Amino acid sequence: MKERFKTSAFLNTAITLIVVYGIIKWVIPLVSRQITGMPFPLPVPGTLMVFYLILTIIALFIYITFSEERLKEFKVPVERFLSGDYGIRTRNIVLAVIPLIAGWQVYDFTVPKAAAPTSLRIQHPSSNFPKNMETLKNPLENPNDNQINTFIEQAKQGSIEFIQQVKEDIGRWKEKNPDKHILSFIPTEPVMKFLNELKAGNISKETAKSALHEKNLFEGRALYAMNCRPCHGDSTGGDGPMADGFKLRPINFTDNGTIETIVEGYTFWRVSNGGIGLPTEATPWDSAMPVWKLNLTDEERWKIIMAEYDLAQKTPRQPEKH
Amino acid sequence: MKRVFILFLLVTGCLLLATLSNAADKPAKAKIPNTPEARERGKGIYFKRCSFCHGLLGDGNGPAAQQMMPMPRDFTTGLYKFRSTETGALPTDEDLFMTISRGIPGTAMQTFDSDKIKNGLAEEERWQVMYYIKAFSDSFADKDNDPYQQVVKVSNEVKSSPESIAKGEKIFKEMKCWECHGDRGRGDGPNSAKLADKFKGDPILPFDLTKGWRYKAGNTPLDIYKRFSTGINGTPMPSFVDSLNEEERWHLANFVVSLQKREVKNESVLRARYVNGELPSAPDNPAWGKAESIDVQMAGQVIAKPRWENPSVDLVTVKSIYNDKEIAFLLEWGDRFKDAVHKPELDYKLPNEYGGYVKWKDIPQEPGTFTDSIAIQFSVKAADGTKKPHFFRGDSSNPVNLWVWKADLEEGGKPSVEDVNALGYSQPIRVQPEKDQQAKGKGVWSGGVWKVVIKRPLTTDGKNDIQFEKSKFIPIALNVWDGSNGEHNLIMSLSSWHYLFLEESKPLSVYLYAFLGIAITGIGEWWLVRRSRKER
Repeated sequence: MKERFKTSAFLNTAITLIVVYGIIKWVIPLVSRQITGMPFPLPVPGTLMVFYLILTIIALFIYITFSEERLKEFKVPVERFLSGDYGIRTRNIVLAVIPLIAGWQVYDFTVPKAAAPTSLRIQHPSSNFPKNMETLKNPLENPNDNQINTFIEQAKQGSIEFIQQVKEDIGRWKEKNPDKHILSFIPTEPVMKFLNELKAGNISKETAKSALHEKNLFEGRALYAMNCRPCHGDSTGGDGPMADGFKLRPINFTDNGTIETIVEGYTFWRVSNGGIGLPTEATPWDSAMPVWKLNLTDEERWKIIMAEYDLAQKTPRQPEKH
Repeated sequence: MKRVFILFLLVTGCLLLATLSNAADKPAKAKIPNTPEARERGKGIYFKRCSFCHGLLGDGNGPAAQQMMPMPRDFTTGLYKFRSTETGALPTDEDLFMTISRGIPGTAMQTFDSDKIKNGLAEEERWQVMYYIKAFSDSFADKDNDPYQQVVKVSNEVKSSPESIAKGEKIFKEMKCWECHGDRGRGDGPNSAKLADKFKGDPILPFDLTKGWRYKAGNTPLDIYKRFSTGINGTPMPSFVDSLNEEERWHLANFVVSLQKREVKNESVLRARYVNGELPSAPDNPAWGKAESIDVQMAGQVIAKPRWENPSVDLVTVKSIYNDKEIAFLLEWGDRFKDAVHKPELDYKLPNEYGGYVKWKDIPQEPGTFTDSIAIQFSVKAADGTKKPHFFRGDSSNPVNLWVWKADLEEGGKPSVEDVNALGYSQPIRVQPEKDQQAKGKGVWSGGVWKVVIKRPLTTDGKNDIQFEKSKFIPIALNVWDGSNGEHNLIMSLSSWHYLFLEESKPLSVYLYAFLGIAITGIGEWWLVRRSRKER
């Protein structure tokens, strides 16, 4: 039974080479897409292809020359081809085409090509990052008692202070919902709990703190939609409507290895100083990131950063303890 | 061998499956029921992901709404553009699901499909938010409005062919599609400046059908056939159900698809070819046929105030050639209206309060207000390693040189190109003295397309001028202004740095090496054949 499927050593060698090529060319990109879950495959560099194919050829060479018999078997079709057993014309055509392919490859290799010079870019440079910002914390994450009490007071009077940019929209909502508490347009768990406690008259500080956090997040999301969304996209995927126009694409915050790997203080520094504030190794001239400290207050920037991490479902790296 | 064969089959099978499973947009699982719980979940999603544009009340007036054009949809009216139902009818749940899933290209509405982006919405969440959005309008509650009773029939597709496209072109003329969309589909028809939408009476522009990447509800023949059959509610685009039969609508769809530019040559290096003799000074010169082109993608200027996220020019096609004395560029981009007047008194002034992005209603957007213009930007200093000036107008220590072509100068019979310098966006640009003005331009507007040629000597005496050298990577970037879109000064579209490369003719050694390669292989073969003969 086994004998029936035995093929010549030459054919086996050829098939093995084709299969290895196919795996590198199509299967690896396909599998990488499944593993990373991204809509594009991981790039397989051309040198890797050459390297793997050479390794395969060497392995096949060793395998064939290992026994005298196999080498002989391998050589049979080659010799028959050369002496014209498969047809003199076929032989001549193949023999004429091979040098042409070789010549074309040499031409392709030596002809001058204008490929863009690659510039190495460090994404998270720290050479001009002020060290004191390493431990900088978002002041809005931990409001003091005073701030929480003010918030509770405002809530009791039904007059929460919002940033200018969202006032109009909330105002229209309030007009339509005059009987509801001003905060109840935020349909999240912590705010609902806070409003229930407010009604019952026994507010815990923790609940108030979470509700204040929700209010800040809301403002941060609005500021993100107004200022950052055009490039970074409303999903924070680095795919906003302006993204295709920039060669250095806006960062995708949902990617591992972006905002997750840096401390909050670093994010704040980058948002504040923009592309122009980067050191040379990070090619500041290619970055479209604005210098936001010129147009947004510290508090607005912190709110945006809160919303950015929340939208991307990431948490900042914790500063190391010394 | 059998095993090898099975492996081969497996690999091919996997590849086939991978191409098939890409049919997205349509729900994979059954639709969930419209319950109060589903709407409550939808409310949470809407608050977090939709309200900042569409507003807490669904009135399309959230905090970010004023800066985007077209404005976010007002959900309270029940008026929806992209449907599978008769003109004027409500959309089906699946229609809304599809819009949420794939977004609307060319607008601020992005995809929310969790299969396409990492933190998108899962299928169930998209149904939930869709039910919440429907609740903003009373029209959906009315049983007489049931959209499922008004779904437009889709007949068998008439496959595209030269005959079908020719028939479609005839229909395009007869049905007067060109009155709005223009003869070649550039959206530059004689009526195009006078249109208004039915949502808020805002001005609306007919679509530029050549931009294959911006079709709002899909660019396939089926998508376009559906638009002809359903009309686009709220816009001047009618339904053609009563005036064209099914087959005719397919022909028209095939013609529209044939107008699309689908392949964008988004490369970073523009290769300038060397030519013998005079360089062309006008766009219609056949000498341009020899030049290679690249498509430069443009973004709105969103880096500094006044930020602008509604640029109308998103692509410029660039060519370049040079001879021993001069270099010339041909720039080509779509622009519906020729604007060759500039009224500086209407220039935008930054408001004092928050004014990060320009609200489009704050600037006039009609033909005859601001001039169309384009600028090529270079670095003044030769590139030092990879170091460059910032792509947005350079910076204080790295000046840039811009050649600014202006339609109003051209129209007024003056030299149409200004040679200027910039040291960062916050500084006003400096026009060079008249004796240093050596760049010459010629622009022609026709059928919704600007074609502009700019040329200059390769080298000049000006110390603030770019000096061109062969076989070097020279940073190059573009700024474009569409006057009738309200663009002027920093309200513009811009590109990142690309490279210009002045090609020299191929050295002889290239051919020599290739010949050697052929010879060596040939000799090797000859030797093998001879040996095999001897062995016989």
